[in-house]
Amino acid sequence: MNATTDTLRLPQRGSAGEHDVPALRRPGARPLGWLRRHGRAALAVVLLLVLMFPFLWLVQIAFRPAEGAFDDSLLFTPTLEAFRALLQGNFARSFANSLVVSSLSTVLSLAIGVPAAYALTRWRFRARGRVALWILITRMAPPIAFTIPFFLAYRWIGLLDTVWGLALVYLTFNLAVVIWLMQGFFEAVPAALEEAAWIDGCGVWSAFWRVTLPLAAPGVAATAVLCFIFSWNDFFYALILTRTHAVTAPVAIVNFLQYEGWEWTKIAAGGTLVMLPVVAFTLLVRKYLVRGLTAGGVKD
Amino acid sequence: MAGSVSIRHAASPRGWEAERRRAFLFGLAPSLLILGAITLVPAAALLLISLTPLNLLDPAGTFRFDDPLVNYRQLLDDPRFIGSLWVQVRLSLSSVTLQLALGLAIALLLNANSRVLAAIRSVFLIPMVLPPIVVALIWKILYTSDVSPLHRALEQIGLPLRSLIANPDTALWAISIAETWQWFPFTMLMVLAALQMIPDEPLEAARIDGANRWQLFRYIVLPYIRPVLVVCALFRLIDSFKAFPLIYVLTNGGPGTVTEVTNFYGFIQAFNFSYWGYASAIAVVMLLAVLAISWSISRFKGSDGNERHD
Repeated sequence: MNATTDTLRLPQRGSAGEHDVPALRRPGARPLGWLRRHGRAALAVVLLLVLMFPFLWLVQIAFRPAEGAFDDSLLFTPTLEAFRALLQGNFARSFANSLVVSSLSTVLSLAIGVPAAYALTRWRFRARGRVALWILITRMAPPIAFTIPFFLAYRWIGLLDTVWGLALVYLTFNLAVVIWLMQGFFEAVPAALEEAAWIDGCGVWSAFWRVTLPLAAPGVAATAVLCFIFSWNDFFYALILTRTHAVTAPVAIVNFLQYEGWEWTKIAAGGTLVMLPVVAFTLLVRKYLVRGLTAGGVKD
Repeated sequence: MAGSVSIRHAASPRGWEAERRRAFLFGLAPSLLILGAITLVPAAALLLISLTPLNLLDPAGTFRFDDPLVNYRQLLDDPRFIGSLWVQVRLSLSSVTLQLALGLAIALLLNANSRVLAAIRSVFLIPMVLPPIVVALIWKILYTSDVSPLHRALEQIGLPLRSLIANPDTALWAISIAETWQWFPFTMLMVLAALQMIPDEPLEAARIDGANRWQLFRYIVLPYIRPVLVVCALFRLIDSFKAFPLIYVLTNGGPGTVTEVTNFYGFIQAFNFSYWGYASAIAVVMLLAVLAISWSISRFKGSDGNERHD
């Protein structure tokens, strides 16, 4: 916790310069000027390395040979052995399941949620506030509250352990995400453009399709990425609602832990593969992600 | 809006309004119907199940409503349930507090004009977007004494440490630390967004008047970001009720029941013991807590003068 208290004090104490780091300052030392200018950035980079250490440790284990998984030396010949072993087993199939379920759920929630978000943005009806609150709450509700009825219903209608069943359950949170986020993006499109289209003879939905939606396309893409990540990351629903056929990658990793002994390089390789798409998306579309991840908290 | 529209529909502006309303309803209805079917119907089913002694091993209890409050009465007498509430409170309060402190500190650190800081900002987000199960794996490795680099380092300097997750005194705090690591970026993001919306004038004025950094933070920055911090705390509080993968992988509720939060206890009752009625009652209690906090968020945001909409 030292790091926390140090950084907390940083902007508070110190009265002289704009970017100095009091904790690191030594009177009379030569690098004082450098510290003053770059101290904050240097501290941030150090903190970043400390905080990312656990994450990087997992990734490097994935590339170690199985017999030397926990050698202390960082000098080792990287090998793809663990990944190869992993893909020869059932993991490839659960990875494919994850892809299918997440894509399916993303497409469904966009198809249903985007028109609803548009209607909620442009149509100020009386119960609008209450509908918005309900949608927020569905995002907040604890998964266990949904899993019990869904499990019992699925057992009865035979959707247990199916890709469709899981994609449907993911709508319980993704639909709310789409409706919340897309409202913000539609608000940014000037209503005057739609009115112009209406005057030119477009109906409400053809104006939406030809004018508003193309202008909000980056927003749709960002929302799709978020929906995908939320479905991809789910563990709880997949653990309960799948057994063998529709097992997703996160559940498959836990099965390694429980049933196949402690093959750490394989487990680390599985973890690395599962987080790969998510980390790639985060770094690619970070600007929109930031907006999505804080949605409902800060309005920008 | 209506003015320009009525050019085309000058003859029947009412007709156009009605047509628009119908069109909007047509777009909204499928979402509301589906959302109703997958949230309100299950919630109602959950409430009904919680009033029965449903148990898949004993089909006779399926639709028996002769003693509807039996599960709720039992909850009050169940020391394991009361204990799980207490575990939940300690885990939630400790991890949310730590997240707010760490997230706020890093946001303040990163809030300066610098190319380096802008470049690394998004890397700090990684823990939050990682699949929770991967976060759990990462900490499983760190906390398992014979494979952890930390344990080996401590051993080498002569301070061998017992595994934090196997020790009943520290297991809950070990989970709290992992949870903090996973979620500090959320507070960081929100605070950074709020910091960027603070106007320059009051800061300039205070600086000219000779305010030091602490005073600037305490009297100008903090009042601006306080609403965001409160919303952050409430959001994270709700989400902390759902903590599952970390506990499932790191301790499985143990040692004993020291890390068994309410959510996890409900999971065990339903999916290990098959006491569906009882587990539903636990879920209803959790749902009510979430409803109460969500409602207070909407109240809080509604009364917030900085809001543009609603």
